[in-house]
Amino acid sequence: MSDLDRAIAQLRACRPIPEAQVRELCHKARELLIEEGNVVTVTAPVTICGDIHGQFHDLMELFRVGGDVPDTNYLFMGDFVDRGFYSLESFLLLLCLKVRYPDRMTLIRGNHESRQITTVYGFYDECLRKYGSANVWRYCCEVFDYLALGAIVLGASSTLEPSKKSSTEPNSLNSTQEYIDSDIEIEVLGNDDNVISRFPRKKPNSGALSKGNSSSPAPAKTGPPGSGASGYSGGTTGNSSGAVLCVHGGLSPLVDTVDKIRLLDRKQEVPHEGAMCDLLWSDPDEIDGWGLSPRGAGFLFGADIVKVFNHANDLSMIARAHQLVMEGFKEMFDNSIVTVWSAPNYCYRCGNVAAILELGEDGSGDGIISRSNGDVGRSDGGIMKEKERVLQRGPARRYRVFQAAPQDSRGMPAAGKKPVADYFL
Amino acid sequence: MSLHSQNLLQTQASSFPRSLSILDPNQPHSFVKPVKRINEGHDVPAFLTSQAYRDIGIFVMQLNISMCPRKVSSSSPSTRTQTWALDTPIKQSEPVHKLQELLQSIDAIIEETPPDTGPRRFGNVSFRKWYDTLESRVQQLLEKYLPNEVLNFRTGDGVGVLDELTPYLMGGFGSAQRLDYGTGHELSFLAFLGCIWKLGGFTKESSSDGSLERSIVIGVVEPYLRVIRRLILTYTLEPAGSHGVWGLDDHSFIPYILGSSQNCPAISDDESMPVEGSLPGAPNPEDIAKMKVVDKERKRNMYFSAVGFINDVKTGPFWEHSPILFDISGIRSGWGKINKGMIKMYNAEVLSKFPVVQHFPFGSLFNWEHDPNASPATHSVHTANHPASQTTTSNASAIRYPPQEGTKAPWAQATGASMAPTVATWANQPPGRSLAPTSAPWVNPASGAPQTALPPTRAPWASQSTPGTGQLPIRQASPDVPTRAPRGDQGSSGRR
Repeated sequence: MSDLDRAIAQLRACRPIPEAQVRELCHKARELLIEEGNVVTVTAPVTICGDIHGQFHDLMELFRVGGDVPDTNYLFMGDFVDRGFYSLESFLLLLCLKVRYPDRMTLIRGNHESRQITTVYGFYDECLRKYGSANVWRYCCEVFDYLALGAIVLGASSTLEPSKKSSTEPNSLNSTQEYIDSDIEIEVLGNDDNVISRFPRKKPNSGALSKGNSSSPAPAKTGPPGSGASGYSGGTTGNSSGAVLCVHGGLSPLVDTVDKIRLLDRKQEVPHEGAMCDLLWSDPDEIDGWGLSPRGAGFLFGADIVKVFNHANDLSMIARAHQLVMEGFKEMFDNSIVTVWSAPNYCYRCGNVAAILELGEDGSGDGIISRSNGDVGRSDGGIMKEKERVLQRGPARRYRVFQAAPQDSRGMPAAGKKPVADYFL
Repeated sequence: MSLHSQNLLQTQASSFPRSLSILDPNQPHSFVKPVKRINEGHDVPAFLTSQAYRDIGIFVMQLNISMCPRKVSSSSPSTRTQTWALDTPIKQSEPVHKLQELLQSIDAIIEETPPDTGPRRFGNVSFRKWYDTLESRVQQLLEKYLPNEVLNFRTGDGVGVLDELTPYLMGGFGSAQRLDYGTGHELSFLAFLGCIWKLGGFTKESSSDGSLERSIVIGVVEPYLRVIRRLILTYTLEPAGSHGVWGLDDHSFIPYILGSSQNCPAISDDESMPVEGSLPGAPNPEDIAKMKVVDKERKRNMYFSAVGFINDVKTGPFWEHSPILFDISGIRSGWGKINKGMIKMYNAEVLSKFPVVQHFPFGSLFNWEHDPNASPATHSVHTANHPASQTTTSNASAIRYPPQEGTKAPWAQATGASMAPTVATWANQPPGRSLAPTSAPWVNPASGAPQTALPPTRAPWASQSTPGTGQLPIRQASPDVPTRAPRGDQGSSGRR
C-alpha cells in the first residue's frame, strides 16, 4: 500500500493526516494542477457535484450514492471548505483522490477556496484547532491558487442509460431502448434509485430550427423538484452541442467566450473584482441583463445573458453551484443553467436535500464532436449538420437526490479532549 | 485585543463606574441622529477607545454582575444565597413592564405577517414586510411604551430623543435587506436599553444591589431574545457573521454572558465578579451537551436557554455543530471561569470585529468621541483579528485567537507558558517552531469584512451590502436598476 493509499484510507475514516503529509500532498497536487488549463476538458460520463462545505459524512454519502472513485468520474465545482466541521478532512480526501486518480477527479475552485474567505468562514479556525498552527491552512491555500476555474464536459449523451438498480423496479424503464423510445431528458432519482420523476424531451416542431415553439402546449407540470416555480423543464431547445460548462458561480460581464477564461492568470488569491472573481461569485437571477450582487462580489445575470453566452460558445448548458437549493438542484432559464447543491441539511439546520448530476457517455459513436470550445465561427460547414442534430439533443440529465448521512455514521471525539479557546484559559 | 478587553474588564474594578452614569434631567441635552462612523477596518481601533465603547462595556458588565447570585448575609451563622432564575417572579418596575409590552407588540407583528410560501432560497422575504411594518409603527410604539422621563427629556435643539433612540431599536431586529440576524443586532438592542438607562428611564439614581438591572435582564433582555428566536424560526433568518460551526453561536452572544453569570458563586453587593468556581447546586458546564438537562434548565438559565434554541434548530451531534460551546463545556474551573472567558471573547469577537460593529451608529449617548481615560491602542486590533499578524501558537489548546504582542493585560495569561500543550495526536510539531508571520496581502482590505450570512456568502471586502462603491464602472448604477454590462453588440467579432 502506497503512502497515498494509506492517506486515503485514513482520511476516509475521517482522521486527518500528519502535517508533513499534508505538505507533501499539497506539493504534489500543485504540480498536477499547474498543468491543467483554466478550463479543464472532461469527457462524459461524469458526475457533477456542488458545494460540500466540510460536511464530510455527507460527502461519504455522496460517494455511496454516486459510486466510488475511481469507478465514477467526478467533477466537483468548488466550496469544499468552510462552515462545516470537517473541511480539512473533506478537502484533503478530495485532493488525495485527485492526486491518486487525476483523470477521474476534477476539482475546480469555489469562492471559499480563498485565504480571505476561509479566515472569515471557519476553515482557518478549523486548521488552527486541528493542528495547533496555521501551516496546514497555508498549504491548502497554496493549492487553492492552482485550482482550475471551470470545466467543459464533452461527449455527454442525449439519452439516459438505465440506472444500475432501477431495472429491478416493476414499473420502471428497464432498458436503454426504452429510455430512448420514451426520450427521457431528465430523470430524478432518490434513495435506492427510486424514481422521483422523469421528464421527456420536448419534441421539436416540424421545422426543427424554429425557435418559437408557439404551437407546443404548455407543459402540464412546471418541472422536476428543484426547477421551482420559475423553472421550466419542458425540454431543452435552442442551441446545444452537448457541451456543458461547469463553473462555481456563474458568468462575468468581462467574459463573453470560454476562451477568455483560458487567458486569465488564475494562479493567485481570488481577486475582489474582475473576471476571475465573477466566475466564482456570480448568481443567475430573474432579471434582464446584469445586476449588482447583494454578495458584494460578482454579478447577477439574467436568462438573456445565459442564452447569448451558451449560443456563442456552443454550450447546451451551464452547471454551477454556489447557492443553496432546498431540492438539491434547480434548472433555470429554459434549462440553460442548473444549480447543483451537494451539502444536505446545510449547516445542520437548513433541512435541504442534496443532489449530484450525472451526464452519461454518448455511446452512439458520434457523441464526441470536435468543437471549438467557444470560438464561434471557427467551425467549417459541417457545423450545420451538427447543429441540426444538437438542437434536439441537449445532454440527458440524471439527478441523484440524497439526504444527510445518518448520525450514527460518525464518531465522537475522544473523551476529555476539549481544547478550549484562549479566552477561557 | 488585550488592551481593550482590559478596559472592559476593568469596569469591574472599583476605579471604574459600576453602572452607566445617568444624565442630569435638568440640563437640556442635545440629541444627535446616530451616524455610521466605522467605515473600514482602520476605524475599529478608534471605536475601541471611544466613549461609546466604554459605555457599552460598563452597561454589559453592569447587567452581568446583576445576574450573579448574592450572599444574603443575615444574623444567622450560615449565609444563604439568592439566585435569579428566569422563572422566578421578579418585581417589575413600570418602565420594564412597558418595555415588555413594547416587545409583545413587536412580536405580534409576526402574527400579521406569515412567512411567504413561494419558492425561496433560505431567508424568507416576508421578513421584509415584517420589518417595514415595525418601521411604520415604531414611532407610535415608542411614544406609547417609553418612560416619560425619556420622552420628555429636555432637548437642546431640533433633534428629538426618538431621532436618536429609534435607530438602535430598529437595528436590534436584524437586516431586512440581507434577511439575517447576528450579534451586531443584539448589540444595537443593548444600546437602545443603554440609552434609556442614561436618560433616567429606568431610574434616576443608581443603586448597588443590582435589582433594577436584573429586572431589565429578566424582564426585557430575555423576552427580546425570545422575540428574536421566533423571528429566526419564522423567517429562517440567516446568521450574520458566521464562522460556521467554529463560531460560538450562529446568532447570539449575550445570553452566554448573562447565563454563565447566573451560575457563578455568590458574591456580596460590593464584591466584583467571581473569576472561577460555580454556585453550589448549579448544573455542570458539561450538562449543556445533555439534552435532558438543557430542556429543564433552559427555563431558568439564559445560557441553557440559548443552547436549547440551538438544539431546536440544528440536527446532528452537538459537539459537531457547536464545537466551541462543546469545548467550553469541558472547563473544570466553573462558571466563573466561563463568565470571564465569555466577556473576553465578547470583547474580541463582537466588539472588536469590523464586520460586526461596522453598522453600529453613534450619537450623543453612545458617543464616537475619544474616551480620555482609554489606554492608547498600541496595536491594531483590526489586523489582530486577522490570522496573518500572528499565526503562531505554541499551544494547541490556545486555538483561534493567537495572543497579541504588546501590552498584556494582567489577566490575559501568557499562553504556552506553563500549560502542557494539548497537541492533537496527528499534528507533528517540529520543535521550536518559529513561524514568520504569514505575509498576507488580504489583511487590510480596503474596506474590511461583511455581515456574512449563511447560505449566500458575502464578500468580506464589501463594506456595505449596498454596492455602488464603483470599483467597476458598472457597479455605479443604482442597485435597483439592473446594469447592462459593456458588452457591445452581440455577436460582433473582435471585441475585447
